[in-house]
Amino acid sequence: MGQLKEVSCLNGHTDRVWNVSWNPTGTTLATCGGDKTVRLWGQEGDSWVCKTILQDNHQRTVRSTAWSPCGNLLATVSFDATVGIWDRRSGEFECNATLEGHENEVKSVAWAPSGKLLATCGRDKTVWIWEISEEDEFECASVLHAHTQDVKKVLWHPNLPILMSCSYDDTIKIHKEDGDDWTSFQTLESHTSTVWSIDFDSTGERMVSCSDDMTVKIWQAYQPGNKEGIQTTGKDATWKNLCTLSGYHSRTIYDVSWCKLTGLIATAGGDDKLCVFEEEVDSTGPTFVLSTAITRAHNEDVNSVEWNPKVTGLLASSSDSGDVKIWQYSV
Amino acid sequence: MASHFSGALQLTDLDDFITPSQECIKPVKIERRPGKTGAIKLQTDGTYMQVDEEAGVEVKLEKAKITLNDCLACSGCITSAESVLITQQSQEELYRVLSKNQENRKFGIHNEVYTVVISISPQSRASLATKYGLSVVEAARKLTGFFKKLGCDHVFDTTFARDFSLIESQREFVQRYRNRNKENKSLPMLASACPGWVCYAEKTHGSYILPYISTTKSPQQIMGSLVKDHFSSMLGTTPERIFHVTVMPCYDKKLEASREDFYSDVYRTRDVNCVLSTGEVDAMSQQEQIKLNDVESVELDNWFNCLDGADLVSHDGGGSGGYLEHVIRYAAKELFQLEFSELNYKTLRNEDFREVTVEQDGKILLRCALAYGFRNIQNVVQKLKRGKCVYDFIEVMACPVGCLNGGGQIRPPEGVTAKELLSQVSDVYGSVNSRTPTENAAVAALYGDWLGGADSEKCHNALHTNYHQVEKMVNALNIKW
Repeated sequence: MGQLKEVSCLNGHTDRVWNVSWNPTGTTLATCGGDKTVRLWGQEGDSWVCKTILQDNHQRTVRSTAWSPCGNLLATVSFDATVGIWDRRSGEFECNATLEGHENEVKSVAWAPSGKLLATCGRDKTVWIWEISEEDEFECASVLHAHTQDVKKVLWHPNLPILMSCSYDDTIKIHKEDGDDWTSFQTLESHTSTVWSIDFDSTGERMVSCSDDMTVKIWQAYQPGNKEGIQTTGKDATWKNLCTLSGYHSRTIYDVSWCKLTGLIATAGGDDKLCVFEEEVDSTGPTFVLSTAITRAHNEDVNSVEWNPKVTGLLASSSDSGDVKIWQYSV
Repeated sequence: MASHFSGALQLTDLDDFITPSQECIKPVKIERRPGKTGAIKLQTDGTYMQVDEEAGVEVKLEKAKITLNDCLACSGCITSAESVLITQQSQEELYRVLSKNQENRKFGIHNEVYTVVISISPQSRASLATKYGLSVVEAARKLTGFFKKLGCDHVFDTTFARDFSLIESQREFVQRYRNRNKENKSLPMLASACPGWVCYAEKTHGSYILPYISTTKSPQQIMGSLVKDHFSSMLGTTPERIFHVTVMPCYDKKLEASREDFYSDVYRTRDVNCVLSTGEVDAMSQQEQIKLNDVESVELDNWFNCLDGADLVSHDGGGSGGYLEHVIRYAAKELFQLEFSELNYKTLRNEDFREVTVEQDGKILLRCALAYGFRNIQNVVQKLKRGKCVYDFIEVMACPVGCLNGGGQIRPPEGVTAKELLSQVSDVYGSVNSRTPTENAAVAALYGDWLGGADSEKCHNALHTNYHQVEKMVNALNIKW
């Protein structure tokens, strides 16, 4: 059993806050929302304060943000169908590029660990892969039409050049480079409703997903030649559903985050609730049990949750009520 | 069901979900009579009645049929539901016309009999030839036999129309090049033969991109002009008495044929009445329970001298028509008096983006590119918008690898990969001898006999077209989460 203690409540956004995103060193939190702005928060003493507001670039909701692996670039995606690339190498964040091409709302963005590729997805059912050239120009490397509905999130594998995406079509799809283009090579089906978010554990061998069906699922990669005898194709691993956690949220689960430091899984739900799960290993294999829950984490839907990459147990969450909270988990 | 349309079209709102506010607003057609007051009454069973105030008569109004034209004019709800889009554009329509013809001939109603003309694209022919292990000429003869056995009257090859399309494209490019300092959006000229690309440009980039697109019609639509205008004159009939069907590698061609620009208000007929995909023709042969190999061969129709002796001809420059090859060769000769035995295509960021240049004394005089597939379209469009496009001409095609890989082509059989099949189709397509369009004396003759000269107004109307920005509807109900 653990507990979550509220460390700070960050106010400033004037509309719902869609997403929280820690920078790679865990010192800055980017939040974005319906007020069309991105706020960057940093710690001063025991308080978290708003250091920068990025605005006047997107015409509609900013839905998601992602930091580049070097921490110098921030990608922002918006319902105005554009992707903004902000660069702070000149000292202050400036919007250096606006990527166009999505037909309508862009929902999610993710940087590849190499820093050379960026993935975006949206309501037009496509996943876009952008390649960053030597002159820091972004070019469209591929447009993937694998999903049959709105794509909610994209996520790069931590170690391999493969990309996951999850969608309103209830599936998770896996994409890889094939020659000079990208192709979708596996579809994971088990959720019975929209898959809202996915995350990897620290090894990249397991993945967690959350859904409108109010369940959280754990997936395992089975490598070619695995001892369980799971069939694989070529050199690619086959992903299979390992276990399902249900009964903890009474409404849609909007986001999930798997801590690379502690192995804890945090979930955020439309029932205003935050849950933290920890893994137990017994004779039948790993199971996940509820470690703690905050029933009324926010006054409205919790849209996003993310563990700090460097500070153990530090968790950020955001809500339709317009506030962002920072929590400390302890045993 | 996987959509057959190109990626570009799938992206632009070909979406099965129709929000309530976008439901079709054309439920009934009201006959307009000037100067009278009318009223419409709604019956309890949901039908609409038009009330004639003077006569006191109530007339039941028919539901209006929604055609592809109406859908294209609305940016809202074109759906990928095949039954909606394709009803007018499938083999059922051709069978319906043939059946009606047979009936009318039987009862001696000769003025109601359509002349049925089939125009087959070289890409479709190569795809079918590959499937059935036939040479191109054999496939052409068997297709002619197949369609004539069904009751069609004439079977043509669209390569002849492509001669015109290539000639007009290269002339247009040279004209734009010469005007490049006088007109803002003269260059780069973007090829216009691909309807997926044109439809995408109209719907997403509108007035910014459209001026760059060549006004030259595609081979399909030039074939339409040729058949409905010139051929009807030759036959001594009128355009609406011809039912013109094309066989295409591409589903997007069905949308192209339905454009308002290609409809004649005078004769109330379209230049192309029906577009069949390669796959649909194959399905027809299965429906007739006859393999293409077993069809009796029939000599090819040569009304337009589109054959070279007894042989078919093709064009250099690949399976998408060879626009880049022809434009750059023609321009190099016209503008700089240069000729080349071979052009060197350099692959850039991917296999579907290739560049070719004209150089003299180390100086680049012309720079042109092939950009196939949606990702390359994106990069071309974005560079144009940023003012960073270095090209003079770009051959844009919506399908990766180009038209031989169109959505309407025969799919790979079991045990063959898409790449392998495409390679085979490409080899078959390339096995036909090539000829430069200006070497075709029949084309030169038609510029005089049919069009009244290369610079005439009739020539412009028959071989060129317009593009129209499609406004997006923006309202709160459109937003989906």
